[in-house]
Amino acid sequence: MSETSQLSTTDVIDTPVKVRRKRKRPLGFYFAATWIALIIFLAVFGWILPAPSWDTSFYDSLGVHPFHHSHILGTTLDGYDMFAGLVNGARLSVFVSLVSVTIGGAIGTFIGVTSAYFRGKIDMIVTMAFNVMLSIPNLVLSLALLSVLAYSDENHPATMSRRVGVLMLSLTIVIIPILGRIARGATLQWSSREFVLASKSMGTKNFTIIRKHILPNVAPAILAIGFLAIGSVIIVEGSLAILGIGVPGGASWGSMLANGRGNIAYSPWEVYLPAGAIALTVISCNWFGDYVRTSLDKRESKI
Amino acid sequence: MAGSGKAHMRPDGDRVLTVEDLTVEFRMSKDKIVKAVSGVSFDLLRGETLAIVGESGCGKSTLGKAILQLPKPTSGSVNFLSTELTTLPKKELRDMRPAMQMIFQDPVSSLDPRLPVSEVLAEPLRVWNRGNQVEIDAKIDELLNAVNLDPKVVRDRRSYEFSGGQCQRISIARSLALDPTMIICDEPVSALDVSVQAQILNLLQDMKDRYGLTLIFISHDLAVVKAVSTRVMVMYLGKVCEVAPPDALYLDTRHHYTKALVGSVPIPDPDRAVTKGLIMGEPPSPMNPPSGCRFRTRCPAATEKCAAEEPQLREVAVGHFVACHHPIS
Amino acid sequence: MSSLLKIDDMSVRFQTPRGNLKAVNNVSIELLAGESLGVVGESGSGKTVLSRATMGLLPGTATRTGTITYNGQDISNLPKDEVRELWGTGMAMIFQDPMTALNPVRRIGSQLTESLTVRLGMNKKDAKEKAIELLKRVRIPDPEAMLRKFPYQLSGGMRQRIMIAIAVSCEPELLFADEPTTALDVTVQAQVLELLTELRKEANMAMILVTHDLGVVAGHTDKIAVMYAGDVVEYAPTRQLFANMKMPYTEALLKSIPRLETPTGSRLPVIEGRLPDPTKNEPGCPFANRCPYVTDKCRAEKPPLTDGGNNHFYRCWFPIGGVK
Repeated sequence: MSETSQLSTTDVIDTPVKVRRKRKRPLGFYFAATWIALIIFLAVFGWILPAPSWDTSFYDSLGVHPFHHSHILGTTLDGYDMFAGLVNGARLSVFVSLVSVTIGGAIGTFIGVTSAYFRGKIDMIVTMAFNVMLSIPNLVLSLALLSVLAYSDENHPATMSRRVGVLMLSLTIVIIPILGRIARGATLQWSSREFVLASKSMGTKNFTIIRKHILPNVAPAILAIGFLAIGSVIIVEGSLAILGIGVPGGASWGSMLANGRGNIAYSPWEVYLPAGAIALTVISCNWFGDYVRTSLDKRESKI
Repeated sequence: MAGSGKAHMRPDGDRVLTVEDLTVEFRMSKDKIVKAVSGVSFDLLRGETLAIVGESGCGKSTLGKAILQLPKPTSGSVNFLSTELTTLPKKELRDMRPAMQMIFQDPVSSLDPRLPVSEVLAEPLRVWNRGNQVEIDAKIDELLNAVNLDPKVVRDRRSYEFSGGQCQRISIARSLALDPTMIICDEPVSALDVSVQAQILNLLQDMKDRYGLTLIFISHDLAVVKAVSTRVMVMYLGKVCEVAPPDALYLDTRHHYTKALVGSVPIPDPDRAVTKGLIMGEPPSPMNPPSGCRFRTRCPAATEKCAAEEPQLREVAVGHFVACHHPIS
Repeated sequence: MSSLLKIDDMSVRFQTPRGNLKAVNNVSIELLAGESLGVVGESGSGKTVLSRATMGLLPGTATRTGTITYNGQDISNLPKDEVRELWGTGMAMIFQDPMTALNPVRRIGSQLTESLTVRLGMNKKDAKEKAIELLKRVRIPDPEAMLRKFPYQLSGGMRQRIMIAIAVSCEPELLFADEPTTALDVTVQAQVLELLTELRKEANMAMILVTHDLGVVAGHTDKIAVMYAGDVVEYAPTRQLFANMKMPYTEALLKSIPRLETPTGSRLPVIEGRLPDPTKNEPGCPFANRCPYVTDKCRAEKPPLTDGGNNHFYRCWFPIGGVK
């Protein structure tokens, strides 16, 4: 064993003693976990809350201030309830980002892990494909897909579900190479370890080795980047809404932001509230991802 | 040195492994080929321990892996238990795997950090459907007891909770799980403290006696293999230099390279510690090995003949073979 | 000769979740200018911690007590930046793994000239010339070509030579070598040890060689400190130690070394048992549970460091060969 590990005391303890350290979690972790839990709660159970419908306009209370007795977070200049809008936006944002990151992550991980494990020509092609995909700015890709697959004008309005579907498809395509590259890199590192060779020499089948030895070891890196990806997916969704494509009518945070942008002089909360929700969620995802990575990496760093 | 030839192959005896003209080459780029192992032949009788000794880059580890077809060698033949492995279809090769196992140098990297010891040892048993959970558990306890680890204490721990020596014991236990005929030990003690090395070497000896194993022991240190081996093969830059029983190799060194290896062993005695027969420099690149004898660029006795002609292994004493034009007499 | 480094009653403790870990206990060592000291012990004996503590390279969880005198100056309470001044000019260090100690993305030339331009204020041309001279000093053939190479293009032995060249570039008076040859082949190990000894003699450089192998220190040190469980258990001039071994632990360590003389098929002597838990305070000699000569007294009372004459110190109630 390396002499330096002495300093971490692992080597000194020759009789293995199970040490369960209570790690002090950083304050940011609690903040991030609370915020993410709140958003998920609103996304799932938001409909139970005694809030008005998000797409109903209250003509008698246009541009009400937040913390008003009738509308807790106020209304837009058009009379839509802000709280209801944010709750509905949370549902859409959580749904879109979770689905696209999960599907994109699964596909990317599968491609990345298998190509790195088996190497050879397939690996070269996959690497090249990932690089090509990564070189296309994700906003441009989403724009192109949305304007082709969910084309919409006065006479042929695209349905909401179609727009959301194409949006998720484009975000999934963006995620595949990002997580695929991470999975590939981590797999290259782990598959050169001798326990993988030992497993091969025992006659374990390749896919069993991938399932039992490679995937559990590359998972921390993928999970951590996955959380970061959720954050960036939310930002892409917001950017698309501001560009006027994506989800219309204030159904997502980005879309609320897009609608409220013209009213900033009269009702600034129309901009601040959805922008704040996006910012907090993205920061929380980043923090949470960081925490997941460091805590899962602890075991590796002890070696 | 660094010659070819098969003079050291024994015509009879209970052979476990016969390797003939084994060559392993790696293509780095279009015109760069690393010749890791070049035409190596040897045989291994049941119950023997063959030590393969040489510096880093001499191809000894590559040779060990090529025997197990990980990956398959470029050319040559590997005959294990009367079965030719190099041409064996994938499925049948897999069926041979339980009989030949390997132990690696890095004790920590040899164990999956996410699996508890019980899972590490259960893996080979599950892959080969050796019994139900109860039988597997019993086997795990037996293996851990065999390598002097207390099953109750270690079963649920993971590799990072162990010292290097303990990890190596677990690796040995794993290699024994499938009742192999032959185990290839690739530098099993060079990452360990001197005081732990002896424990692991003794353990390997005990396991060999207890389970009737045939061993290949790869090392860069002649002193380490001295106690455990029955035959030593010295390799340099992908070729064989000298094959002899360990005592003959040490007391009656014939090859200039072997002499350098013997002289490099640190002696714990200040009066004898002056290094003798030290060779300078490092081996040339295996991408472009010297002509003739591959050792000639560092050999004190090299002549023109060594550059022109590759020496063949020949018998200089009973059971003692050397590939050198000008052996030490 | 004058005293270069004097460690007086140094102890190091680590704060761990399992309690206070005693890594080094009341160690006193003196090193003269140009002298070479071997620190020998198993993993966990505290030998690495001792050398790092001396250099002021301990992590934040560690506390160090005792004094360190370097060239007559007490450096134990020196501020960090003044300690840093000492490195490179006064002290230098080489490590076990030369791959991680070298920056993988920079050429050997730039890593080698860095300390020359930064510390010694040389201009680029002079630094390059000096770098070539240094590479020649560590016996590297074709030094000009070496300057343009990256660490990954080199073998372990070559990398260790580069590390040594960097370490001696500022003419240190004291070199810490922490297991410098453990990762190397025996042939290369012999070369590197030989090189270190030659460099030491050329520049009258003192060296602390930390290793787990008594064979490595035998031919390359003037005196040896054997460490066990944080204590120096035997401390003597090298020849004196090998000729007149007092500690049963040192003897056991020596016997466990595989040798060429070992008869084939024989069992190697081993040290049974393991190091005591460094977080526990148990009475008696820490080696008692592994010692073949153990008595009741050993289990009850920890032996003090005893002066056996001829600069030979040991920590044992019943030293081999008896008490004088």
